[in-house]
Amino acid sequence: MTIIATLLQVIPYYFDIQVLKDMAGTATNAVLLIVACATFVGVISVLMVHAKRVQRRTEGWYFSGLIIVFVAIMVLTGLPFAEFGLGNKNSIFNWIFTNIQTPLGGTMYSILAFFITSAAVRAFKARNIEAAIVLVSGTLMVMGNAPIFTNTVPVLVDISLWIRNIPNMATMRGVMIGAALGAVALAVRTLMGIERGYLRGGEE
Amino acid sequence: MSIMDKINNLDRRIIYLLAWIFVLYPLIFPLGLPIPISSDARSWYSYVENNVNDGDTVIFSLMYGTSGMPELFPMSVATMKHILQKDVKFVVLGFWTEGPLVFNALLRQVNPADYGKVYGVDWINLGYIPGGETAMGALATSFQNSVAVDFVEGRPLSSFPIMDNIRTATDIDLIISFETGTPGAPEWLRQWNTAYGVNIIVGCIGVSVPGMIPYINSGQISALMPGLTVSAEYELLLQKPGLAVAGVDAVSTSHLLIVLLVVIGNVAFFMTKEEKK
Amino acid sequence: MVDMIAAWTAVFFTLGIYSILYRENPWYRIAESVYLGVAVGYGVSVDLLYIRNQWSGQWSTSAGMILLFAIVMIVGLMWYGRFTKSTFYLYRWPLAIVVGTGIGLALRTVIDAQFLQQIVAQVKTPFFVAGNMGATINNILIQIMVPSVLLYFWFTGTIRESAPMKIVEKIARYTMMAGFGSAYGYTVLTRYSLFIGRSQFLLGIPPNEPSNQLAFIVIAFVMLASMIGWDFTHKKTPEA
Repeated sequence: MTIIATLLQVIPYYFDIQVLKDMAGTATNAVLLIVACATFVGVISVLMVHAKRVQRRTEGWYFSGLIIVFVAIMVLTGLPFAEFGLGNKNSIFNWIFTNIQTPLGGTMYSILAFFITSAAVRAFKARNIEAAIVLVSGTLMVMGNAPIFTNTVPVLVDISLWIRNIPNMATMRGVMIGAALGAVALAVRTLMGIERGYLRGGEE
Repeated sequence: MSIMDKINNLDRRIIYLLAWIFVLYPLIFPLGLPIPISSDARSWYSYVENNVNDGDTVIFSLMYGTSGMPELFPMSVATMKHILQKDVKFVVLGFWTEGPLVFNALLRQVNPADYGKVYGVDWINLGYIPGGETAMGALATSFQNSVAVDFVEGRPLSSFPIMDNIRTATDIDLIISFETGTPGAPEWLRQWNTAYGVNIIVGCIGVSVPGMIPYINSGQISALMPGLTVSAEYELLLQKPGLAVAGVDAVSTSHLLIVLLVVIGNVAFFMTKEEKK
Repeated sequence: MVDMIAAWTAVFFTLGIYSILYRENPWYRIAESVYLGVAVGYGVSVDLLYIRNQWSGQWSTSAGMILLFAIVMIVGLMWYGRFTKSTFYLYRWPLAIVVGTGIGLALRTVIDAQFLQQIVAQVKTPFFVAGNMGATINNILIQIMVPSVLLYFWFTGTIRESAPMKIVEKIARYTMMAGFGSAYGYTVLTRYSLFIGRSQFLLGIPPNEPSNQLAFIVIAFVMLASMIGWDFTHKKTPEA
């Protein structure tokens, strides 16, 4: 099935066969629906784990109860039935998104700023020449991104741009070419049926 | 314990407190540091100003959620203000689940109606399309088959005049994509730029910038907006200072803290090494 | 009043996450649990809306399309076979279709977008730029660095011990280290930009609500006082 689905997309791209093009278009739209149908997989997985914790009253079970409550609220208020006042225009749904999800989402990833700061003094040491190169280029990049430095030492802008456009570009180009070859190799292995790791599971 | 040992073993909560102070202080008491305009900001401004022509059709894609809002929202607002000054048609869509609601937040900052743009005639919001790169490929072959109704009014696309001339990727002149990860620029390049030759400009978070540079160098991406500092510079070029300009002083002080800590940490490291010798 | 509740709720959850910086605590667990619940539930809404909208589009136009829609929905339901051992095999069908389509869409253009175009750009980089010594040096460096990085990844094992490969290896490693330094610099920018955005929210800097500031002060005080108070009252005394 994987092979058929792959060839259905690849062949019409290179050969102008209208029937195959139409089939590929319909298949792609069908895949979008299939992907959307998987929406409850995450919900069920989360509910299975946390419902067990609530049932067994394990340590911190009340937090699991909180998770279940909010999953239920968002799923129920977000059901696509605008005729009944539900959906993405529902006031409760929007209120939770605006006043809970938005601040939480933004805050979760911003915490890494503190960990980076802590790492700057504890871990970022010039232990050998390679670490020293990372340290120097990293510090110059940090200075090049901050007006407090670039106003006083304008050449920092040129230095940071040089680091970005020369060694960084060389690194990323090499990685990109290698990754593209790897992706093609993986695709060919999948097409030949050698690579079937994505189908594993369910044995336990 | 020597001072250097104390630095090496510093309680991390003191470092966190320093981070809070170095960020909050310039926000409460703005330093007003001048912001030099970089070549990235000028390239972005110049591209939107000179290459987006009246009559063009543009995709405005918010490929991020609430987690990317602090860094990408200011540049999204500024670019939207720039686009609205032109006589272009634009299609708002996204392949991230939170994209549509992020766009609603953008509408609270910038209302196309204030620029004389009529919904359904000059612009349309197609909302979220699930499926990642598959959805991008599907959209390129047929807008009408991939998206049945618009996001705002829930009406069929055929009922909107703007969609009369937008059917496939060949009807789009430019993609403006603001993104934090996957799907993002590589997927746009594979499905739209390589397959149909549609130009792309990308605004991304700093973490994604190193990976974008080869595409800039090869010309596959026409312009890049790399992070908050350049957003502030762009706001100044537009003469519409906003959230990004308000935050740049804090960028300066926080980066100053990082540099100081790196220097102090390494001085402590080398002096401790000397003492042990 | 409603706006005030909204502002205080948003500030509470923001500070709940930041409270982890002091130590693991119930405020953080509450915020984390709510975030997980809301994020999981939100995705369901947009996906179901898409399915409903698609039905009202091309999929209900003819008997053939309706039949196809029914088949697609049945295949879509097979995802849920993964939750039991006896039906796990059903889960592989939609997975195979989705993976195959994704591979096909990516495979047909990845060679051009991420391979050929990059090689063309590399080959088109001239060694010598008349009248510009800086650009000339940069281009020569690129022409040395990119192949070095590629060779470093491609050739592993005993071939690395040869003299030419040792030089290539050194150039590649130093190039990559400088590149990683660039990545570090931008990572600092991103993470602090996110933190600055949240700080602007907490301080009520426009377009954020000014009332956030009072909520920030009060809730931060309550959270810190509760954690420090708990630590103080539950301090372990050293054994005699």
